[in-house]
Amino acid sequence: MHIQKGFQWRAVGKNWLLIAAFILLIVFPFLVGVLTNTDPTARRGLSVYWQGIMIELLIYGILTMSYNILFGFTGVISFGHALFFGLAGYLMGAFQRAPELADGGLLIGILVALVVCAGIGLLIGVATLRLKGVYFAIFTLAIAEMVYIFLSRYEYTGSEDGFTLAALPEWFDPTRSRLTFYYIAAAIFVFTFILIRRLMESPTGAVLLAIRENENRARTIGFNTLTYKLMAIVLAGILAGVAGILFTLLNKKVGPEMLGTAYTVNPLLMTIIGGAGTLLGPAVGAMGLRLLELQLRNVQIPLGDVVLDIGRILPIILGAIFILVVIVFPYGIVGTFTRWRLNQRARHAERLAKQAEALKSVS
Amino acid sequence: MTGIFSRDKRSSLIAIGVILIGLLLFSLLTTGNLNLIGTEGFGAYASTINAGDFSITLLSGLLRGMLLFLVASGLSIVFGLMDVLNFAQGGYFMIGAYIAYEVHHTPAIIAAVPDGNLRFLLGVLLAIAVGGALGAVLERGLLRPLYARPLFQLVITFGVSILLLEAVKLIWGVSPRSWSTVFGLNEGSFQLFGQQFSVYRLFVIAVGFALIIAVALLLQRTRIGIVIRAGVQDSQMVEALGINVRAVFTAVFTLGCALATLGGAVAAPFLGASLGLSTEFLLGAVAAVVLGGLGSYEGTAIASLLVGITQAVIAKFGVQYLNQPVWESLSPMILLALVLLLRPSGLFGKE
Repeated sequence: MHIQKGFQWRAVGKNWLLIAAFILLIVFPFLVGVLTNTDPTARRGLSVYWQGIMIELLIYGILTMSYNILFGFTGVISFGHALFFGLAGYLMGAFQRAPELADGGLLIGILVALVVCAGIGLLIGVATLRLKGVYFAIFTLAIAEMVYIFLSRYEYTGSEDGFTLAALPEWFDPTRSRLTFYYIAAAIFVFTFILIRRLMESPTGAVLLAIRENENRARTIGFNTLTYKLMAIVLAGILAGVAGILFTLLNKKVGPEMLGTAYTVNPLLMTIIGGAGTLLGPAVGAMGLRLLELQLRNVQIPLGDVVLDIGRILPIILGAIFILVVIVFPYGIVGTFTRWRLNQRARHAERLAKQAEALKSVS
Repeated sequence: MTGIFSRDKRSSLIAIGVILIGLLLFSLLTTGNLNLIGTEGFGAYASTINAGDFSITLLSGLLRGMLLFLVASGLSIVFGLMDVLNFAQGGYFMIGAYIAYEVHHTPAIIAAVPDGNLRFLLGVLLAIAVGGALGAVLERGLLRPLYARPLFQLVITFGVSILLLEAVKLIWGVSPRSWSTVFGLNEGSFQLFGQQFSVYRLFVIAVGFALIIAVALLLQRTRIGIVIRAGVQDSQMVEALGINVRAVFTAVFTLGCALATLGGAVAAPFLGASLGLSTEFLLGAVAAVVLGGLGSYEGTAIASLLVGITQAVIAKFGVQYLNQPVWESLSPMILLALVLLLRPSGLFGKE
């Protein structure tokens, strides 16, 4: 192997899809602006509406990518991922609206939320990751449920209603300057993707994959698997916390539903449908599924006398899709596609080899 | 399963004894009108113990323990046999409650079967049938293709539990149902040290005890019981001996789900039917299964009662001293967390 100097065109060729997606992400607001003939920097209009949807998709993408670190790459199942998502939102909100802290509250809140997410991940991990995987699943479910009940019953946290944030600084406010917020969310999304990609290309990522495939083997080789798993859960917790903070800022309110099962089930569903253990899968799954959900929410199909309200039965449909995917389509969209392409390549190589063989016998 | 009195389990029995005595003392303290500042001494304190409160707390604990057992027994045997922790078990309990409620409160059925007791029995039987059928479908249709991928089995049982929740939400909505009709069994109550306790709840406790014994007899005295016990030890070996383990898997899974729906159905007259039952009983039952030691039937039975009594004591303590009913809902999670942190191998577990 020789070291290439200067710009590596090969790398561009390999990553053309990612680069195209990145450029699309950057021009998206202006593209929508041109298509809908509205001003992307305005405060209302179709352009702003689509930016809002895209921000939500990006947040779901971050949350799902964080879930994929655990489920897809390390083989650890968490049934309480909403805990990190919701708790980070609550903590950030509590500091942000504290009058004593004024404008510094936002920053302190974000830091505290992320530190707490990491700490909780560490605690849960230390307590249960030594044991069989199923204990971790149960424990995360129990802790998430516990915090959910706590936050939804106590008056200080606004009981069932949650609370709204204090006014945000003008440049940061998702309603007053949505375009800026869009780019912040997009930057964090890209950063998360690159971080996870770098991680999975590093030796640490290889150990995580080894743990997923066979933990005993990884331990026998000499890796302290507990440390690696702890690292994975802490990272996943922090990233889920980031998603929760962005979500809270976007909606300017927190509520106990952020800790509900929906925010655990959705990342799980999206990871599996997109392709667990692939880099792009979770982002594709999250954005595709959420977009589908948003589009189908208000669809009503008349079937004879009864009107089929798709929005109402949507959770059931998604559940059925989920079960179907797990059983017949276990690699998800991206996973199946990658396998198909690898297969194609292998076949192509075989064909070339055969041709070469034929040529040899002729000469 | 060599009897719970063998030597290696003696320490666990002592541990249970200590926990039970501790719980009883705790409940005595919480139910008595404890006045630590008073100068009358322990004798005076002992006389203020409210025997009524105490016995009612104990009975409520037993009742909850029995319900937990109905969910936990299926969880435990299925986990021992197939290494699958069925996260949908709580959902089955919830479905049972809704079915029993619906059968008892639908006007058409009331018109057809005016007798309350009979209608209740009908509801319970229907719940068992639905639970068993759903259980069989889940095992044969969804779990069987996934035995090579245990991670996804866990995911699918969780997915099914969410599906059950969504289905109930779609059919019955999100508002909880409380049992509004009175029927023969549900009517009577008796006095215990000046406190009322419903005869029906006592009846449920008795049913629970009968089922504990029935399942134990099934495991100990029948051929399928022998196969199940052998399967818990080493299911590959059993398969090698020419026994159709897969069929046994289905049977056990069906039985477990039927027991859970039965639990929900008999609990509906006092707990009502609500979406919260699902997670609450799942986590309580999981706490019992882990405390009892995964795969140990006796352990699960004893631990269910322990968890039930502890929950009742926590609930009583929370309401009486902290004035926070939230502790009652939190108790399954707290218990589960404590068990996982302190003794994850359980009282009777191998490891």
